[in-house]
Amino acid sequence: MNQTRRDFLLTIGAAGAGLSALGAQDVFWTTEEIPDVGWAPGIEERLNSACLICPSRCGIQGRVVDGSLVRIVGNTLHPLSRGGLCPRGLAGVQMLYHPERLASPLVRVGSRGEGEWRSLPPEQAISLLAERLQTIRGNGRPESLAVVAGYCAGTVEDLWRQFFQAFGSPNYVSDAYEDGTDSIMSLMHGIPARPSFDLDGSDLVVSFGASLFESWWSPLQAFVAYAPPGVGGDERPRFIQVDTRFSRTAARAQEWVGVRPGSYAVLAMGLAYVLIRDQLYDDSFVREHVSGFEDFPDEQGRLREGYRSLVMRNYRTEEVSEATGVPVERITSLARSFAESGRSVAVFGPDVTQAPGGLLAGMAVHSLNILMGHVNRPGGILFGDSPPLTPLVPPVLDETARAGSQRPRIGRAPPAFGRGTQALRFAEAIAGAAPSTEVEALLLYYANPLASSSHPEVWRHALEQIPFIVSFSPFLDETALHADLIIPDLLPFERWQDAPAPDSYPYPVWAVAQPMVEPHEGGTHTGDVVLDLAARLGGTVGESLPYDDFLTLLRTRAQGLFSAGHGMVLGSEFEQRHHRQMEERGWWLPEHSEFEPFWEDLVQRGGWTDLYYDETDPARLAWTPNGQIELMPSSLLRALDGEGRGQVPYVFDRTQDVVSVNGFPLRLMPYRVSTLASGTLTLQRWLAEQPSILPDILWTPWVEVSPATAAELGFHDGETVWVVAARGRYRARLKASLGTAPGNVGAPYGLRHPDGELANPLQLLDGSSDPFTGLPSWSTTFVRLERA
Amino acid sequence: MRPEVRERLSRLSPDQQALLRPMVHTSRGFYIGVAVLVALMIWGIFAYYLQVRYGLGRTGLNRPSYWGIYIITFVFLIGISHAGTLISAILRVSKAEWRRAITRSAELITVLVIGFGAIQPIIDLGRPDRVLNVFLHAQPRSPLLWDVVSIGLYFWSCTIYLYVPMIPDLAIIRDAGIKAPRLYRYLALGYRDTPRQRAVLERIIGVLAIAVIPIAVSVHTIIGWIFAMTLRPMWHSTIFGPYFVMGAIYSGIGAILVAMVVLRRVYRLERYFRDVHFDYLGRMLLLMSLLWFYFTFAEYLTVFYGAEPAEMRTFWSKITGTYALPFWTMAFTCFLIPFFLMARKSTRTPRGTLIAGVSVIIGMWLERYNIVVPTSVNPILEIEHAGHYLPSWIELSIMAACFSGFALLYMIATKFIPIVSIWEIEEGKEDSVREVAERVASYLPGTADAVGEA
Amino acid sequence: MPRWGMVVDLDRCTGCAACELACKSENNIPTVSPEQAEMGRSLSWMKVLTKLEGEFPETSMSFFPRPCMHCDNPPCINVCPVRATYIDPEGIVGQIYPRCIGCRYCANACPYTVKYFNWYGPEWADSERKHLNPDVYVRPKGVIEKCTFCHHRLQKAREEARAQDRELRERDYQPACAEICPTQAIVFGDLDNSTHRVASLKEDPRAMRIVEDLGTQPKVYYLRQRE
Ligand SMILES: Nc1nc2c(c(=O)[nH]1)N[C@H]1C(S)=C(S)[C@@H](COP(=O)(O)OP(=O)(O)OC[C@H]3O[C@@H](n4cnc5c(=O)[nH]c(N)nc54)[C@H](O)[C@@H]3O)O[C@H]1N2
Ligand SMILES: Nc1nc2c(c(=O)[nH]1)N[C@H]1C(S)=C(S)[C@@H](COP(=O)(O)OP(=O)(O)OC[C@H]3O[C@@H](n4cnc5c(=O)[nH]c(N)nc54)[C@H](O)[C@@H]3O)O[C@H]1N2
Ligand code: SF4
Ligand code: SF4
Ligand code: SF4
Ligand code: SF4
Ligand code: SF4
Ligand SMILES: [Mo]
Repeated sequence: MNQTRRDFLLTIGAAGAGLSALGAQDVFWTTEEIPDVGWAPGIEERLNSACLICPSRCGIQGRVVDGSLVRIVGNTLHPLSRGGLCPRGLAGVQMLYHPERLASPLVRVGSRGEGEWRSLPPEQAISLLAERLQTIRGNGRPESLAVVAGYCAGTVEDLWRQFFQAFGSPNYVSDAYEDGTDSIMSLMHGIPARPSFDLDGSDLVVSFGASLFESWWSPLQAFVAYAPPGVGGDERPRFIQVDTRFSRTAARAQEWVGVRPGSYAVLAMGLAYVLIRDQLYDDSFVREHVSGFEDFPDEQGRLREGYRSLVMRNYRTEEVSEATGVPVERITSLARSFAESGRSVAVFGPDVTQAPGGLLAGMAVHSLNILMGHVNRPGGILFGDSPPLTPLVPPVLDETARAGSQRPRIGRAPPAFGRGTQALRFAEAIAGAAPSTEVEALLLYYANPLASSSHPEVWRHALEQIPFIVSFSPFLDETALHADLIIPDLLPFERWQDAPAPDSYPYPVWAVAQPMVEPHEGGTHTGDVVLDLAARLGGTVGESLPYDDFLTLLRTRAQGLFSAGHGMVLGSEFEQRHHRQMEERGWWLPEHSEFEPFWEDLVQRGGWTDLYYDETDPARLAWTPNGQIELMPSSLLRALDGEGRGQVPYVFDRTQDVVSVNGFPLRLMPYRVSTLASGTLTLQRWLAEQPSILPDILWTPWVEVSPATAAELGFHDGETVWVVAARGRYRARLKASLGTAPGNVGAPYGLRHPDGELANPLQLLDGSSDPFTGLPSWSTTFVRLERA
Repeated sequence: MRPEVRERLSRLSPDQQALLRPMVHTSRGFYIGVAVLVALMIWGIFAYYLQVRYGLGRTGLNRPSYWGIYIITFVFLIGISHAGTLISAILRVSKAEWRRAITRSAELITVLVIGFGAIQPIIDLGRPDRVLNVFLHAQPRSPLLWDVVSIGLYFWSCTIYLYVPMIPDLAIIRDAGIKAPRLYRYLALGYRDTPRQRAVLERIIGVLAIAVIPIAVSVHTIIGWIFAMTLRPMWHSTIFGPYFVMGAIYSGIGAILVAMVVLRRVYRLERYFRDVHFDYLGRMLLLMSLLWFYFTFAEYLTVFYGAEPAEMRTFWSKITGTYALPFWTMAFTCFLIPFFLMARKSTRTPRGTLIAGVSVIIGMWLERYNIVVPTSVNPILEIEHAGHYLPSWIELSIMAACFSGFALLYMIATKFIPIVSIWEIEEGKEDSVREVAERVASYLPGTADAVGEA
Repeated sequence: MPRWGMVVDLDRCTGCAACELACKSENNIPTVSPEQAEMGRSLSWMKVLTKLEGEFPETSMSFFPRPCMHCDNPPCINVCPVRATYIDPEGIVGQIYPRCIGCRYCANACPYTVKYFNWYGPEWADSERKHLNPDVYVRPKGVIEKCTFCHHRLQKAREEARAQDRELRERDYQPACAEICPTQAIVFGDLDNSTHRVASLKEDPRAMRIVEDLGTQPKVYYLRQRE
């Protein structure tokens, strides 16, 4: 028995020894406790720049310590953002220092998409591309070069376009924010530009579904208007949000009006009815500046019903109430408020236009602004100027270029009044593989269609037809993975770029993003690459882009600002006010007598602006032949007649509202979360961790249904489901949310699962679109949920 | 057993023989038991190694469930520790004669369990390497610091309180020469059982028994205060001090009963742990079950009646919500089972008390769970989400290891000390009947003079 | 002696969560893995809490940005056994990370659930370490952390004011969240200094403090949403 006991003790001893050998020193903390980040008292700099993450292009200030960008704050001098920023901009440091950014250019060695690469120095990568382009041009087929470019408004876009023109290809394919508002302005005002919304000057903002606080052109523009610095209480403007979903914008608007999906236009017409019935609209403005209000003879001389008759005949408040779900009193009071406030504006965007009748719906909403005469008036719709930049040198075209430019663009012809989904039409044409539409080389700039397109399978097919694909993405995104060559761009905080304010902002702002840290060795500014390519191609292509580098180009363009005779380098609010008052009186004093100090000051302060808008300029109202705003644009009437369905503007079929499609009982309502920067969300960990506070959710993609719908379907909050549509399905967490109407599925897009798997509701879209603008319809797809 | 030991043992009195035999005779079952317990402990130590190596993240704790299994086990074990000292002290002070057979086993529970209880908060620390900061940077307003002091004091006083009454027995072992002569010579401190020594010893025991009671009461009061001093719903309650002490005694009695049944069975101590012990302890358990019900009812009624929203969220989460199962199981095991078993004489048997004791032990663990977890996961701010807590295998392993460690030490201790106080039994046999007769006589009117005040 | 405090105007807050991000970036707050986040272990010293009520479409929502309240009578500091959390003479409730033993007692004592625990050590990719703020300690595993009113900024502002031989101005010391809020919903300053905006804002009829009945005397005030 003693024996047994001794054995026993031995066993314990051995176990103990084994355990300590397992790494006892790890059990006790050593110096590991504070991660050594090599800190020492450092040299600190504050540099003004611009955020390039979304179209808002806010002013930022970087805090740079010993060459590292440790913090991004707002540039208080920037008139649009005024020192505020959104979470995406703040998380920019995590984009810059993302562990997954590419360390150098890569050339494919394995087969496509396999992920086998050889890295090579930028110099060689550019040569490789230059040789290829040389060959294409040499073969006399310049049109077989194409680029798909994301949002890059400003000099980058101008540079690409010039390069393509000089090279001889019409195939600059834009894959950027299209909201159809330019089509509407073009038809009604004859001005082919997007409107600006003077939210800052408005005292009542009625937004028809525009997610002002979440996405739109510039959430910062909306924030500043919503709560202007130093303005409190009752002086602040009122925001009314008309929406199908209780969005964050709806939540924080002083009033929110929930409408049935697809009924924005009917509601707008209901308001117009009240405005006309109660004589609340601006009669003199309409008489003086608007045509199509009264009945009118058309081109064939037939008398057609004008706006007034159509509205009065079709939109009795009770009927509107029934169609929209908004109570009668609400409609009346809404119309009254809109009329009573001298500075009100109806805002609309993709939420209205991305529907089968989107163009007409957008016109209906905008007609409210016209009825009230809130066009080209403070607080209403303005047509702002672009910054007076020096244009690029006129392109020089040789024979090859001229011949190439004559060739048709790849893809079906665009619809009558818009550009629609240009990128998808392009891909469809290639995937269809008609030999005449062959693309020899495709460049991808800020574009990741394999992840972001509504039809990735079409893109996959198209890419297979293209012998040479180059991506400029700094990350190995889905499409870059299928490229043959990757020449990673520098990231926004290490490159020069101009950052013009989006069209939604009424005043020209030309902010400049400057490198705040040493550029990554493996990266090359794509702008510089394009200029380099032009130089290497030489000849007329080189002559068309005679700039040493992108910075030179920017400086050259800024000459225009310097000699414009108006505007100012960004300044404090006081300076801005002062400047505006001066310009109102027709005065302007140059702050700088020479360009060099002007440029230095501009870079140091973050940009240039001109906060004076001349409302007395009639050219800002309409460029139509008769100088009037057209409620009944004849080209549109012709197109509608041509359709032969007897459709008339401002008359919307109120019974069309589909409630379900066989086997798919729920309406899919994709929306954009404010932390999302297009499809690139996974780049910033802080954002990926918490894409939304509403619902409070971490890391995982989700969909929202009303608690009633969830209960009816037998799902509980937090469960993982498949969202299934006719075209496909994806996985997401189900969230029961009071903010979603019963029968709808609120589907945030742009999210990924932590393992990288996409959860993209846009890939379920039914493919329908507005025949006039080509914009895809985003809320006519029906789905069902299945337990995962 | 070696022959000479057997021979020496046979020379002793029957009581001594019976009570010393377990120290020199070890069965196969004992080794198997030890092996199982040691394995569990090693497993738990490995779990703790992982926790220390990688962080408290290995537990199921989170925000706002900052506390879990370890704190529950802490409160529970320190509660169990009230078994011995407090009960034995009360019985001693009140001169309950039937205590003689049970004090030792009870006090032993105390000393061993305090240690395991006291390490729980250290296991729970995010930075065990800095535990000495508690002394280096002591912040006297913290109930946690009061706790360190009171548990320290409690541990040492209980150890002394176990040791002093054991000295005569150690001397008996030394004299019998059946085991480790040098050790027992050292431990017995030269005790020869002279009348003077005996008198001094009894006086010290008397003083200790009185001193240890307030210390024991303070310990669990302060543990209650750890919770009560926060402003959290259903923690911030003046009843917590006494409620915790009461609960501690309750679980302590449960533990004694279980220990007695087991010891009686494995060491064949039926002659010492008799039905009357189970009957009396059973009555105490009955009393405590009623007290428990009273306290619990009072606490919950007060909360319910006040109906403060924050309190009610926690309240309903226990009564009908997420924690309804543990709550009602607790009500069942802490009250209904022991009450109905102990209310009837026919079930105040060893078997009945065993069931009741186990039930109370489980119930009291659940009570601590029901105190710690539902409050933690229900933040005061309604707008915050309620949390959730599921212990990880690491926590459960460590808890299991601590329980096994306790059982293991208890088993091993029975090999080194007599689990029933030999001298007290003998003394009882010699003197009790007379003393009790005298005492009883002294209560009765008119007999006091006859017996005299001697 | 200043008494630093904050006023959050709920009427201006749009729930954009820029304050959360500004705080994370300023104070080196790491992300946690999806599994950890799922368990409730993500960290956000500033947290915009939300409340959604009503039946669609009669829904309403409130946003509630919640930093540490920097209570004048903070229940969290009394319970700390090692004085690793303390209130300084200017009313800022701080943490001493190298001393904290990680008992989480303070976290349980805080009625506002503003304390965050480092269940594991922070994980930063090597490249990400470049964006860490050198003015702020990186917390190791096992300690409690929370909003400090960006105390390091006060220290810097003081030094700067001293170097320039002038008084500290209101704008010199602004925490990261107040600095970034696009709608100026967060106002920060000395509650006792009548020239600071917070001093008058806290007297606004809309002003309130949360869970005030516990006697914690929070120094973060909220201005109720207007109807
Ligand atoms: N934060 C952020 N802002 C951005 C960008 C970004 O990446 N991040 N990118 C920019 C780009 S590229 C784009 S395209 C825009 C997109 O900007 P938005 O168009 O503002 O984006 P969404 O939120 O998708 O808009 C869809 C909205 O329409 C509503 N809706 C749903 N169904 C219907 C319906 O039947 N009818 C109508 N009328 N509305 C409906 C949805 O509820 C949702 O609120 O954002 C730009 N701004
Ligand atoms: N999953 C998903 N699909 C979507 C959307 C979505 O949000 N999510 N949004 C839809 C909408 S509205 C649009 S407009 C389109 C947009 O879709 P895309 O035009 O494809 O834009 P992104 O998806 O943002 O992809 C841009 C790519 O550019 C790369 N990139 C990031 N930074 C830089 C840089 O500094 N320089 C360069 N050269 N490249 C960079 C990134 O790798 C990223 O993958 O997608 C549509 N489809
Ligand atoms: S709104 Fe757009 S530009 Fe402005 S900070 Fe956010 S991401 Fe950057
Ligand atoms: S930054 Fe300002 S507006 Fe945005 S959530 Fe925070 S407090 Fe509200
Ligand atoms: S809010 Fe909580 S952590 Fe902050 S001071 Fe008050 S009690 Fe302490
Ligand atoms: S967790 Fe740290 S700061 Fe909090 S009470 Fe414990 S030691 Fe003090
Ligand atoms: S005051 Fe500073 S630490 Fe506190 S929430 Fe704001 S940014 Fe974060
Ligand atoms: Mo877009």
